[in-house]
Amino acid sequence: MFDYPIFEMPFIGHRLLFAFDAILHVFISHGAAVGGSIILALTQWLAIKNNDHKLDALSYKILFTFFILATAVGALTGIGIWIHINIINPAAIGALLRVFFWKWFIEWIVFNAEMILLLWLFLIWKKHPLGTQGKKKVFNLVLSYAVASWLTMAIITAILGFMMTPGNWLKSYFPAEPDYMAALFNPSWIPSLGFRTFWSIAWAAAMAMLLTWFFTKKDLELRQKAMRLFGTVLLVCIPFFVLFGAWYYAQFPQAAKDLFWMGAITRRLAAHPEYATYLIVALSSMVLIGAVSLYTKPKHAPVFLAVMMLIGSMGLIGEFERVREFVRKPYIIYDYMYANGVRVADVPYLNKTGYLKHAAFVPPEFREVNEQNKLVAGKYLYQMQCRYCHTTNGINSVKARTAGLSEEAIYIRIGSLNSPATPFMPPFTGTDAERKALAAYLASLATHDKPALAYQKQLDEVKK
Amino acid sequence: MTDFRIIPGDIPLPLPTMGLEFMEPFFHGLLIVAWVVHILFINVLLGASLASVYFNSKGHKEKNPIYDRVAYLLTTPVTISENMGALWGVAPLLLVSILLTPLFYSSSIMISPHWLHIIYGNVVAFLLSYLYKYTWHTLEHRKTLHIFIGTVGVALFYTLPWAFMANVQLAMTPSTWTYTTHFWDALLRADTFFRLVHFYLATFAVTGVFMLVYGMYKRKSDNAEDREAGVVLTRTGKTWFIIPTVLNFFVGPLVLFSFPDYGIEAFFENGYFWGILLTVALALFSLYLLLKDFFNDDLPAKRVWTVVAVMVVAILSMASLRHGMRMGLVKPVLDASHAKTERFQRESLAAFEEAKNTPATPVATQANVHAGQSLAEKHGCLACHNADIKVVGPAYKDVAAKAYTADQIVELVKTPKPENWPGYMPMPPMPQVPAEDVKQIAEWINGLK
Repeated sequence: MFDYPIFEMPFIGHRLLFAFDAILHVFISHGAAVGGSIILALTQWLAIKNNDHKLDALSYKILFTFFILATAVGALTGIGIWIHINIINPAAIGALLRVFFWKWFIEWIVFNAEMILLLWLFLIWKKHPLGTQGKKKVFNLVLSYAVASWLTMAIITAILGFMMTPGNWLKSYFPAEPDYMAALFNPSWIPSLGFRTFWSIAWAAAMAMLLTWFFTKKDLELRQKAMRLFGTVLLVCIPFFVLFGAWYYAQFPQAAKDLFWMGAITRRLAAHPEYATYLIVALSSMVLIGAVSLYTKPKHAPVFLAVMMLIGSMGLIGEFERVREFVRKPYIIYDYMYANGVRVADVPYLNKTGYLKHAAFVPPEFREVNEQNKLVAGKYLYQMQCRYCHTTNGINSVKARTAGLSEEAIYIRIGSLNSPATPFMPPFTGTDAERKALAAYLASLATHDKPALAYQKQLDEVKK
Repeated sequence: MTDFRIIPGDIPLPLPTMGLEFMEPFFHGLLIVAWVVHILFINVLLGASLASVYFNSKGHKEKNPIYDRVAYLLTTPVTISENMGALWGVAPLLLVSILLTPLFYSSSIMISPHWLHIIYGNVVAFLLSYLYKYTWHTLEHRKTLHIFIGTVGVALFYTLPWAFMANVQLAMTPSTWTYTTHFWDALLRADTFFRLVHFYLATFAVTGVFMLVYGMYKRKSDNAEDREAGVVLTRTGKTWFIIPTVLNFFVGPLVLFSFPDYGIEAFFENGYFWGILLTVALALFSLYLLLKDFFNDDLPAKRVWTVVAVMVVAILSMASLRHGMRMGLVKPVLDASHAKTERFQRESLAAFEEAKNTPATPVATQANVHAGQSLAEKHGCLACHNADIKVVGPAYKDVAAKAYTADQIVELVKTPKPENWPGYMPMPPMPQVPAEDVKQIAEWINGLK
């Protein structure tokens, strides 16, 4: 049942629109908030223990940067993920909210604690310099902030884990009755949480190393001390997230594992899985070379190495999120809902009665396909089932995918979308007449200027 | 009864009430409270950020450091309320998303991509507000630039309610939906316009009350400059509360009567107008309390806290009556939506059962079918190839005409040679298909004429 108005993102498509916000959020929430708070707690603890005023001053500068990033960009893009998916795939987020409402509610309370602690410690930091009694309070605030940040991630990770490995969460389909505990304790929650926790700390350490380079231009002794500290944290975290990563990967459904290499690069290069290996090795080397040289020669290493390490880390993080999103296809909630918002169990009914028939936001004159309206009806079908991943003529465009194909060829192709040739695609849902209408619309796109005219003519005629 | 052209369906999963009867009313109560907290923070954000820029330029123009101090002091509530405001917007969003799913999701999509302004516009405004705050001393001698940064940030913050108001107003009035309604339709409507005016005026009034409290504390400060700033805050607070509140007595009725008739009827029938009377009475009382001591810069704490308490009750009363109005407006559609969703689920269940009991007969199980054909279907070859006509790839008849041996075909499936078929889309390699199966498929292909 498609019951929402249609929002189409021209040219860049929904995936890129969403990815822009989501990846920004991941960089900042994992780095400046979750990992960053742990790094700050560690630095504060050392500064207090050794009465190290310089380290304390440096940690305030890092805190300042993290504060701006976390509050102005991290928190808002986090809400943004929700707002984006709300307009891109309302059926999916609607289902997730019903199943995870209370976890989300608890997450919101923890998020409150996180924000209040951050604001509080940031606004009182300078009132309690090192050596005063109040400094201990600041440290306690940093520590509580770290715990709260981690908890928010722990809860959200459960939801992400659920989307790929929902486990036995559905007691019955009609009426749908979720098993809330099973959904929460889904198989990939704990391993993915461990994986994210350790790379967050490593990533935050990498960010702190770059910041340290800028903040210690005039104090190379401090630079050496800070680089050694953050470098140790980074290098120690690597084996942990690799191990958790392997455990996490083991939880993937087999079909998702099969898509791994295709997700790691683009489909166009699927014939060359070795390219993905080169890419990952190159990115990892950028991180390792940067980290090791900053660690061993902190006074001499140029800023270029820190920047390279950061770019490598961002590449790896982006790559991981991309693979995670890709291998879940053709589902958005595994085995329950396809990437285009169609519930798996509703497919037989929609195939029998028609997809357009149930679309509340399609004008009634287009809900039944006939010769007069089939281009317009086809466009509605495209918008409701394809535009989740495709655009008409931008990124991953259907126009390029169907170039040179006859209407009949497109019609045949649409009938076997979810086949071993393209296992990541959801099946077309709808009647045979609807399939023909979609084929007619897609075929009309290929013939340059005319489709707009033919389409407009039909639209005008039906409206009369 | 109003006709509703569009009845959206609901999410076919139960409300997370944990089986408790009181949970749904509790959700509504929570929604009212969380929404009020959110709006109050946003009011202070908008009011205080504007006041800060105003006093900054006033101090610069009149060469008066007290005004500059007032402006600087106001940046702290801006930082706190922008963060807390965003945070407390999440709870209402969460609750609206489960209670009013069909309405709120639909309106959000109708006003997209403009709805995304609340993210990207917000991020930029946030960054500008930090830039404004943390360059205060650096840009001390470049005040024009500093005030400019502040002004752009404030202007951006003031555009965010457009997206919110258009969305809420559209979600509340499903009787106005058409198949092509979009953002500007919703924003440029009388009801949205009056609500925005009402909201902006209330923003100044709430900030006025906030300034009374903030000024009271600053008047007690150890720092002489802060004490003088406290007096300025108290004076401004009074004016900012009194004038907008009086104006809103006139704008309020315009808002009420710009709603669709059936909503207004439900509103009066359910007795929500008592809420209006209570709110107005409390606001009048607050006005009286402040006007009585209008020229007293040393407003006593008791007076300030009384005004705060009276206005909190007034605001809660207003929020409840608004919620009543909202529910009156959406109830008919919500009921119809639930009924529609239930019907869909019932019929879908029937089709689901039927499909389960009569498994589709794929080519593979039909008689007289070459094993190679079944395998071609199983491995997805038929997604792109057809025996007789060109689909994405060439027709198998045309492949047969090339008379490849079975071994050649095995090799070509593993490493396709696009140069053999100019004009076709290159085939992805399919190394996962076992060679034994490809041989049978090859046999079938070569048998085609």
